[in-house]
Amino acid sequence: MSIKAESISITLGQRQILDNVSIEIPEGQIIGIVGPNGAGKSTLLNILSGDLESSSGSVFYDGKLLDEISIQQRAFTRSVMAQIQPLVFDFSVKEIIEMGWLLKGATQLMAEFDHAVKEISVACDVDSILERKFNKLSGGEQRRVHFARTLLQLWRPSESVRPRYLLLDEPTANLDLSFEVLLMNILRNRASKNYGILVILHDLNIAAKFCDKTAVLKNGKLLCFGCPKEVLTESLLSEVYGLPIKIDNHSNIITYY
Amino acid sequence: MESVTEKFFFRRFLYHINGKQIFIINLLILSILFCSSIAISYGSFGIPVIGLILGKTSEIQNIVFFEIRIPRVILSCIVGASLGISGASLQGLFRNPLADPGLIGVSAGAALGATTVIVIGSTFFPNLVLSNFLLPMAAIIGASAVIFMLYLLTKGFGYQGVTYMLLVGIAVNAIAGVAIGILTYISSDEELRSLTFWTMGSFGGVTWPLLIPAIVIILISIACLIPAARQLDLLQLGESEAYRLGIDVQKLKYRVIFASAATVGASVSLSGMIGFVGLIVPHLTRLIGGVNHNFLLPGSALLGASLMIVADLLARTLLQPAEIPVGLITSALGSPFFLWLIFRMNKY
Repeated sequence: MSIKAESISITLGQRQILDNVSIEIPEGQIIGIVGPNGAGKSTLLNILSGDLESSSGSVFYDGKLLDEISIQQRAFTRSVMAQIQPLVFDFSVKEIIEMGWLLKGATQLMAEFDHAVKEISVACDVDSILERKFNKLSGGEQRRVHFARTLLQLWRPSESVRPRYLLLDEPTANLDLSFEVLLMNILRNRASKNYGILVILHDLNIAAKFCDKTAVLKNGKLLCFGCPKEVLTESLLSEVYGLPIKIDNHSNIITYY
Repeated sequence: MESVTEKFFFRRFLYHINGKQIFIINLLILSILFCSSIAISYGSFGIPVIGLILGKTSEIQNIVFFEIRIPRVILSCIVGASLGISGASLQGLFRNPLADPGLIGVSAGAALGATTVIVIGSTFFPNLVLSNFLLPMAAIIGASAVIFMLYLLTKGFGYQGVTYMLLVGIAVNAIAGVAIGILTYISSDEELRSLTFWTMGSFGGVTWPLLIPAIVIILISIACLIPAARQLDLLQLGESEAYRLGIDVQKLKYRVIFASAATVGASVSLSGMIGFVGLIVPHLTRLIGGVNHNFLLPGSALLGASLMIVADLLARTLLQPAEIPVGLITSALGSPFFLWLIFRMNKY
């Protein structure tokens, strides 16, 4: 069971954004994508989530072609956290988190619903700001609220056998160090519950520490894909970022100068 | 379990509003009943409600009551509800607090459709013009045409921002104004008389045969809009985000556009252009109860209905026996509110 992209290419205008990229997100693993700005990371995520159609290549959810899966069914299978637009009207934090609840209106599940919202708010440390207006929050708090909503979308009353996937575009942007680690630990916990997770990261140390596999993208090409220790080498990273980069293998810390 | 929960996904439109909001909705329903009972008994021709209940009214009082007063109060009620809910839905769809059927030109489009039928239609289809469906249909077509034009000019809504849409609205209003002006110029005296009321709005002259088709159209449109409430909530996160949460955004757009156009078109065809109700009512509803559309849509319909009944009552009783066009009253109340809204937006 996995989300699989095969030979994805896409050209927007004159520019080739992605060139023959193949990647797989199996259940129970965190796949990190790293690479410089404009490498095509977000475009790849948008194609995997079904927001964008690729010029060539195909995406499969659990072996089924993405085009054959209805929009509603997709929402049940994968949850996406991307860059967000500002809100026009004054919704409360609780209302925003509840928007992730696909089963709204199922009155039989109301008790479960309250339980799920509470559990997820506590996990993401937003339980103290539930009644506040979303627009009045700081950038970091807003990201945490959206992260909670993304998690709620995949919440089920019982642990079902169906696989679920999280696709996250820089979830740690604007977060301070402690929340960055908190968020990655939540992801690890979800991976242990068999979620398949794709996460775009800028912090190479976080990628090295938390991901099961890492993909390095540059100029729309997948340079390599594999276990972080094998993939994130000094020579590759120095080439990708155009900076001298050193890796301290004992503590696995990546330093750039 | 999975298949059971997925079945619920399609039933998620069931109401989920909090206790305070339910209380406000009930209060608004009571206020409609209260306002209508006052509006029914007051007017240039007094009708004692108690006398009516006891059957002690004269024949002329009965005729005024059943043929003039009641249709008029019902019309003001459904027009208010229709403008309130279409304003709320359009603001949600455009993600724009200034979207109002009047300001962005939808009402003008509807008026142009109706005017065209009155002036040009009478030349070509003299027998059809007064048919009860032709006028509302023409108004609905006019309203739809304007919303589609806005859709094209704003590249599928929302991308060009608040100011851009208002400027397009000004242009649309101007174009419709010119067209209505030309039609007025070439119209006969009799046509001119029926045209005058489009520009100012009035609930006078309504009869049951005209009212019933409009009630049907407006109720169907409202029934079509209210279940879209949660989808409109999710749309506030942005189009792509709504899609990721399982909303067919394109379908939602068409649904809201057609239902709003139908309800505004049907209202305008009977009452003419009544400004600012679609703008003010949703904002007032948000202020008293909250921004989620499950509450906002029915709340705006109910509040719009109450306000319009009161506005019409004022219109016909303030300067008795003369009658002020109700559109003047709503504009007089609405324009200061519009200014306040603009100043408030500037603060952010």
